[in-house]
Order: sequence, then structure tokens, then C-alpha cells
Amino acid sequence: MDRSLLLVSIAGERAAFASEIIRSVVELDSITPVPRAPAHIAGLAALRSRAMTVVDCRRALELADADEAGSLAVVVELDEFLYALVVDAVEEVVPFDTEPSEIRADLLPGWTRASVGMVETSAGPALVLDPANLIEGPAKRKAA
Amino acid sequence: MEDLLAEFIAESRDMLEALSGEIVAWEADPADRARLDAIFRFVHTVKGNCGFFEFPRLEALSHAAEDALADVRAGRRQADQSLVSAVLAVIDRIAEIVAAIGEGREQPDADDAPLIASLDANAEESAPAPAAAATRAQRRQSATPRTIRLPVELLDRVMSGVSDMAVARNDLARRIAQHEGETGLDAPFNRLSAILADLREAITRIRMQRIETLFSGFPRMVRDLSHELGKQVMVEIESGDVEIDREMIEVVRDPLVHLIRNAVDHGIETPAERQAAGKREIGMLQISARQTGSEIRIGIVDDGKGIDGDKLVEKAVAAGVLSAEEAKLLSMRERNALICEPGLSTAKEVTAVSGRGVGMDVVRANIEKIGGSLMIDSTPGSGTRMMLNVPLTLSIVPSLTIGVGERTFAIPRSYVEEIVRASSEEMDSAQIGGREFITVRGQRIACVGLEEILGVESTCPRDARLYVLIRLVGGDIFGLAVDAIHNHEELVVKPIAPVLMACGFYVGTTQLDDGSPVPMLDVSGVARSAGMIREVKDRSLRRELRHEREEERVLIPALMFRGFDGAERAVEMDAVRRIEKLAVSALRKAKDGSAQAVIDGRIVPLIGLGGFKPEGEEVNLFRAGEDGDERAYAYAEIVDLCEFDPSEVVTAEGASGQRLALIGGRPVELFDAAALLAGAPALANAEA
Repeated sequence: MDRSLLLVSIAGERAAFASEIIRSVVELDSITPVPRAPAHIAGLAALRSRAMTVVDCRRALELADADEAGSLAVVVELDEFLYALVVDAVEEVVPFDTEPSEIRADLLPGWTRASVGMVETSAGPALVLDPANLIEGPAKRKAA
Repeated sequence: MEDLLAEFIAESRDMLEALSGEIVAWEADPADRARLDAIFRFVHTVKGNCGFFEFPRLEALSHAAEDALADVRAGRRQADQSLVSAVLAVIDRIAEIVAAIGEGREQPDADDAPLIASLDANAEESAPAPAAAATRAQRRQSATPRTIRLPVELLDRVMSGVSDMAVARNDLARRIAQHEGETGLDAPFNRLSAILADLREAITRIRMQRIETLFSGFPRMVRDLSHELGKQVMVEIESGDVEIDREMIEVVRDPLVHLIRNAVDHGIETPAERQAAGKREIGMLQISARQTGSEIRIGIVDDGKGIDGDKLVEKAVAAGVLSAEEAKLLSMRERNALICEPGLSTAKEVTAVSGRGVGMDVVRANIEKIGGSLMIDSTPGSGTRMMLNVPLTLSIVPSLTIGVGERTFAIPRSYVEEIVRASSEEMDSAQIGGREFITVRGQRIACVGLEEILGVESTCPRDARLYVLIRLVGGDIFGLAVDAIHNHEELVVKPIAPVLMACGFYVGTTQLDDGSPVPMLDVSGVARSAGMIREVKDRSLRRELRHEREEERVLIPALMFRGFDGAERAVEMDAVRRIEKLAVSALRKAKDGSAQAVIDGRIVPLIGLGGFKPEGEEVNLFRAGEDGDERAYAYAEIVDLCEFDPSEVVTAEGASGQRLALIGGRPVELFDAAALLAGAPALANAEA
């Protein structure tokens, strides 16, 4: 099976998204803030004529904000909605064809919730993230 | 072969759909040759195709029907009740079989022989019609209009492609503007824009369907229903060339069917009852559609026994829906609206057709869900009129864009009652318990700043703010203070992501012309968070009150027309003395650009031509003013007769003094008599 992963960096760590769920990688030029939205939702942005909900991955992972807000985002589609996941940097696409392995250690709570496992790639180890968990954000989990 | 078969199925289905109205019309008037021909053509086409595909049952059925109808056409036989019913039964069977073939199912297991025999009820001999055979090939060609079928997803893709293009165009426009005309791209860019605008309109129209496609099945339905109930009902359908979004057709179909069944079952009486009441034995049912602005109004009018309002109120009080005191305050329309309360039908007995109570509550709920409304007027003894208002499409919402600080939001216009400026003299403001209240025309209204609700900064001085008075579905009014009102526009609203929906302040997202996304506010969510919604038990009552109020607003009738420059304008009906056509030869244009017309032997100043030369031999114009001081105004065509709300008329700033009225959600330049008289100098010395 030809699968691959997109490696990104968030708060100095390497993370990965399965590339089949990724629509594109974009530079966000303007974000419309949405008042009263959960903290990890940065607002709305447009991808041509469609609106995307912008998710700040650092906040979704309960990490400290970056010194300078990033504008590079990985666009995924979930239930017919587009989401732009803002990451610090996009590294490369690496082939990968096994299942992510379970992590045998306690991680920070945000990473634990959002990740589905760890992979060894040619560029080194990375956590595979599930966009749905990032979008849901930390607030919901506390309420549940 | 597969393709041919699919085409056969599709063609047959189209014809069947178009046919059901024809059959009922034919039954009403068997001498109607055009209807007879249409039905004949159908069975004939089916028969012709069957020979090709080997469907022996279809062939036998269609052949028999064709023979019988050919006899009628040739004058050898009269179309009577039994023949019509027999033909109907045959066509139904054909429809069943076609549907089964289309879905790849087994053909329904039934004996066709009795059906075929019933066609031949009178022992007349049914020889094949030679005339029909001769013209077969030619007829088949003209059977259906040239159409193609497309999957809806493909349409949606094309539509979103065009939207993407519009956003890209706007981006390009901004970049070109930065170079201030030095790019040399202006002309081709303008051409591109014009083409895109055209394309956009065409694409939007593709999604529209004539409402006839929805109505065409109703005559047959009413016919079957009235036969079953032993009633006689004549159906009159007027679709008024109205077009409606495909999705919307599916959404309104069930409620409409329900209302029509109700009208036939509970409204229209049996022939004996009607005779006793001094009415014609045949009941009338009118179904009509009209487009007014961005709404479609569907009327279902019957001349039956009407709704017994007293009995409804009695039942409602007994059921505890409202108290006896409240009941006394109800208007007629409010009483009738009680029929939509669960379990309050006045039908004496439960019938198989529409049951009891018939889920009118469900009908109303479904209509309201799509932003529509239902109004019921009824005169006991002489009939009921139901008016269904639905929006043109599900996704385009007439909206107001408002601003607080740097932020822009949209709200649906349907909620907005009025906009008041803080500095306005009509308005008074007071602070009570930390909450701002404003008084508008004697009514005290609680207000809340949008910035307070959304936790953002307002950048506008207090006395320059605007209050948007919002009427909630429950009937409560509250004021929403904002910094600015940007625009009235029709926005394409799309659903908002669940994670944002969950905050309870937003219902969707939309994009402005420059492509920037803007959230659409959930008006009731905003009101709830500010504690503006009271717990109201009598929700429906208040809603009906709102309709009543809307009617009380004085609307001014106006004539909307398109000028020779293509712009739409409106003139107050009172200012128009007369609308007429005049020969172009009676017009004269002076060198200085002014124009005159000769009307009834007098020279009258003419406005509206501008630099245009009317085509054809006659020109449309209306006359305003009074004898001796008259003006004629030439226009290209009448758009509509409409009404506007005088409280919504605004006057443009500057020398033009142009007045704009909001008609059908769009601003339209408005003339009254004074403006027309000022539009051209009088010809005082022309008469001398």
C-alpha cells in the first residue's frame, strides 16, 4: 500500500498527518477572528470560495503560544467542512506503510489526546496526529 | 443498448409526469383535442419503443390504449367516464412497469387482461387505426423537448467553480486597481467580469426549476382523492412562470400535498351538502404561485365550508392551549392558526384520507424550518385561503452586514424590524439597572451592545451608534447596538463548522465580495445570552400577532420599471396618471438632449429616454402631473407592481437628492410626482 505522511513541526516537535486526508498546504493571508469561539479556534479564512475554520495547533495541544503567530496551515476536510490546521513549519512528505505504534510513555496531556501513535520515519520519530481531535480542542475533553 | 434503454425509461418518466395534468383536463373536457393528442402520443411512443425492446406487457397495454384512443380521435367513439378511468388505469400500470424496469426490479406481478378488457367496455370493434401508423415516425420526434439529465453533484461543482472564479476575479480587480490603469488590462478585465456575471446568473438559473413541475401532479391527486370521497372538485392551477430552487421543491412538496388533501377532505363538501348550501355542486380548488421579491407565495384556495373558528377556540380552551381571556383577544387569523396546534382539528370524524388533526402542526413546523410562513384566512360557509410563503432558495439569504470595531458580521434581514440612529430625535435612551433601554415611538425596548455579547471592542462614540431592532420569532423585540451598518446584500450562506456552531452565536458563514469570510449571527442565540428571550408559552399567538402587525404597516403601491439604460426604478402609483404606448413618430428629441412627446394633441416634456433611441414602432410611457403641467416618462418595460414601506425610504446625500426604497430586498430609485415634475422644465411658452 502506498501511504505517506506529511511531517510538520509544532512547538519544536515533529508531528505527522496521514497525507490522504490533506487537501492542501496553504499560507493564510488573513484570518477573520470569531469572537466567543473556543481558544484554539483562530477564526475563519477563505480557501477560494469556501470558508475554512482555522485551528491553532499549539493551543489545541495545550502548548505555549509561538512568539510570532504562524500562517502556514495544513488543510483537511472533515464531514464536508474545511479546516486549516496552523503549524509552525511543514517539513516533508515521507512514505510510510505500517501502522503507527503505541507509545509506551506518558506524554503531555495535549499530545496524548491528539495523537494516534508514533512512527519511525527516515527523518526520525514523529507523533501521528488525528485532525478530528485537534479540531475538537481541549475544552470539550474537560467537559466530558 | 443499455443507453437506449436508459433513455427510454427517462423519456417515459418525463412524459408520465407531464401527462398527469393533461389526463385530468381531458376528463373535464373530453372534447379537448389537444389533451387527447398528448395522451395518445404517450401510449403511442411507449408502444413504438416496446417493439424495439421486447417488453410484451408494455406493448399489449399501450397497444390497447392506443387503439381505444385512436377510435376517439377518429370520431368512432366518445370519451366517457369509463374510458377515461380505463385509460388512467392502463397508464398507471405502464408507470409501474417502467419504474420496475428502471430500477432493475422484477416487473410487478399483475394481470393486465382485465385492464385491457376495460378499455373495450362497449362491444365496439377496435380496429387498429391506419392513420396513426402512417404518422408514427414523425410523431415520435416531436414527443419531448430537447433536454439532458445531469447529476446534481456535477451542478454543485460547476456552481462552486463559478463562485471560486468570482473570488479570484475580485482579487485580480484589487491588484489591477493598485496599478492605476497602467496595466492595460482594464478592457479585457471588464469583459471577463461581464462574462462571469452572466455565467453566474445562468448557473444559478440551472438550479431553478419551474414550479409547474411540482404542480403538474396535483390535478391527478385531487381527482383521485375526490373520486374516493364522492366529491366533485375542479382544480385550477396557475403557476405564473415562477421558478424555484430544486431543493426547495422537494422541501415544500409534502406540506403542499398535505394542505391540498386537507382542502379536499375537510374543506370541500359533498355535492349534496353543497347543493343544500346553495353552491355549485362542483367545488373549486385554486392552486397558484407568485414570486414577490425573494419569496414565493403559494396560495391554496377552496370554496368549501371553511374553518369553524369558534369551535377551534372552544377546543383550544378545553385542551388548555390558551385561556378563555386570551381567546377573546384573538383575531380571525389567529383563531384559524389554532388549527396548526397539535390535536385541534375540527374534523368531525377521522377519515382515511387525512386522518385527524392531520399533523397541521407538523406542516407548519416544516414550513417554518425553511424560513417560510403559513397564513390561513377562512370564511365559514364559503371557503378557506391558505397562503404559504417560502424563500426562493435555501442558501441565499437577504442579509444586513453590520460592524463593531473592526469586525463584520451578517444577520438575516428577516429578523430586522427597523434601524434607529442613536442621535435620532425619535429615540430616547435610559439606563435602567445597568441595562440600556431605548424608547421608539412610545415603545420601550431593551438593548444590548453587540460588543458586550461578543466580548470585542467598540470603536464608535456612543451617540453615533445604530440600533438594529430585532423581532424574534416569539414576537419579542430587542435592540442590538452596533457601530455601523455596511450593506444590504443577498449572501450565500453556508453551514459553519460544528466546533463554532457549538458556541451558540453563529448559524453559518458567508463571504463578502472581496472573498473574506464573515460569520452569520444566530440572532436568537445572541438574544438568549443577553437574557432577552422570555419564556413564552403562547409562541404561536405571538407569531400570528406579528403577521397582523406586518399587515397594519401602511405600504405604498408602486410601479417598478426598467429604463432604457437598464436600471430598475419605481414610481409611486399615486403619481401615475396613465400608462400607455405611443408611436415613436410622436416623439421628438431636441439638440440640447431634452425630449418631447405629442399626446392627445399636446406637447408634453418627455423624461427617461436619455441618449437611447427606442426600438420598434411604439414606446412605453407613463404620464404624471396634472393637466397643463404634465410629464411623460418613457421606459423599456414594466418589471412588477410592488409595494414599499415608506419608513424604509432613504434619501441619498448630496445634490442628487435621490430617494431609494427597499423593494424585494434591493434598493430601487424611487420617484414621486414632485420628483417627476422636477425632472424636466415645464413647457410654459410652448403653448403660447
